[in-house]
Parts: sequence; C-alpha cells; structure tokens
Amino acid sequence: MANQSALLTAVFYALADPTRQAIVGVLGRGPASVSALAAPFAMALPSFMKHLSVLERSGVIRSSKAGRVRTCELRPKALADAESWLAGQRATWEARADRMSAFAERLHQEELIHEPANPRRKR
Amino acid sequence: MSQQTPAANAEAQDLVITRLVRAPRATLWRAWSDPGLLKEWWCPKPWTTEVRAFDLRPGGAFHTFMQGPDGGTSDNPGSFLEVVPQQRIVFSSLLLDGWRPATPWMPFTAIITMADEGDGTRYVATVMHPDRASRDRHAEMGFFDGWNTCIDQLEALARAHLASA
Repeated sequence: MANQSALLTAVFYALADPTRQAIVGVLGRGPASVSALAAPFAMALPSFMKHLSVLERSGVIRSSKAGRVRTCELRPKALADAESWLAGQRATWEARADRMSAFAERLHQEELIHEPANPRRKR
Repeated sequence: MSQQTPAANAEAQDLVITRLVRAPRATLWRAWSDPGLLKEWWCPKPWTTEVRAFDLRPGGAFHTFMQGPDGGTSDNPGSFLEVVPQQRIVFSSLLLDGWRPATPWMPFTAIITMADEGDGTRYVATVMHPDRASRDRHAEMGFFDGWNTCIDQLEALARAHLASA
C-alpha cells in the first residue's frame, strides 16, 4: 500500500506542472515523437527532456526508441490509478489553496504589525 | 430526453477544496482581489505569474500567464462571472472579456467563497468541469482538442485495461 501511495504521489507531482499537463494533453491524441512533442514548447531540449523523464518515472508515459526516433505514449494505467485526469486538477487546486492560505496568514501578520494603534491586537 | 441526471454527473467532475485560514475574511479578500498580491501565490515557485488582465466585475477579464524557469508557459485567459466583495468570486475559462465564448484547453468554472468561522475564515474553492454528456457531445463535434480528447481516450483505455485484467 505504501508503494501504491508513493506511486500516486509521483503521479500527482508529475501532473501538477503546466508543461507536463500540456504534454499529457497532446499525448491524449496519440503517441508522438520527442521532437514533435517538443516543437510547440519554447524551451531548450534538455529542459524538455527533464519533463519527459519526470512523466516517465511516474509511470504516466512510456517511451521507446526505433532507429533514431524516440516515441512517447501515455500509460493509462497510471492515470486510471490516480483517478484519471481529475487527480492532476485536484493537485493543482489543493496546492493553490495551500499557497493562498499561507499567503493570507502572512499578510494578516503584517497587517497586525502595521496597525500598532489597534487595542484588540492579538499577541 | 436523457435518463442521466446532469447534477449527479457534474458532481463527479467537481473538486471541492476547503481550508480554515487563520486570517480575517478582509485579508483573504485582499490576497484575491489585488492582482499584485494574487500573483504571489497563484502558481508554484519557481514558476511565476503575470496577471495580464484583472477586471474584477461580472464579464471582466481574468487572464493569467505563467512561466517556468525552463521556458515552459501556461496561458489561461478567462473572465469573472460573479463578484460579491469579501464573500464570493466566480470565474471561468469558458468565457472571455465581455462574455466572448472560448474553447480553452481546460474548460472549468470555479466558485471561490469566504465565510467567517471562529477566529478565522472558511475558504472553499469549488472547481467544476464539463459533465460526461457535454464532453461526449463536444468530442463528437470535434469542439475541444487535446485534454478532453485525452480524457475520453484514457477512460476507454482504462476500461479496456480493467476488462482484460
């Protein structure tokens, strides 16, 4: 079970990044070569390869090499395990709620410091 | 017409995310309604958010553009549908500035609410995605590309996988 949970964490992490979400979106239309996948992204190939490698390690995609062409495809099992695409969206919004909460709490602390005249200020 | 209940279908596609925040409602509202503050928490570091439009009224544009350290980008135009100060913000990727319809890569409508609870604020984000019936309909029309096609294909593959297991 712990192993399963670690796998899901890897899938959530892999899907929480907008570039990797876009890659999964493209691969949803069918397998694609690395060069075709990379073309729409304005980033250096080594950076793009890192994203592919995160996706591959998490089990979301797999790749195979034929001659000089490496082809990527989705591994639906990993996404099915993670309750499919919705898991990626949940990861994005959960993390955003965490950041908003932490930010608002910090902001509140600053507001307290900058209102020294407030007699009901909490200590 | 349809035996399916759209509400039940829709719920399966909804995300409800809730937090009890140790700050007053007015502070959460500041964090949300000031684009200079919103960009501080909108996306995960080291990604950065550029708020390209933030017109906080119904039909006003809400457009974020996110950039990663390695050149990755995520462009998310949309608009606000409802704004109740210090209580509620509804926004969507399906309509742009002035209600102009869009075909986003990720169709959703999000409802953000803030309510007093104890010494803090109850924060709830409800994110709704298209229900199965409309997804299928749109897929047949070739309306959405990419992600929705991906969802349908994944579900078919997942079903096939389960059947063969």
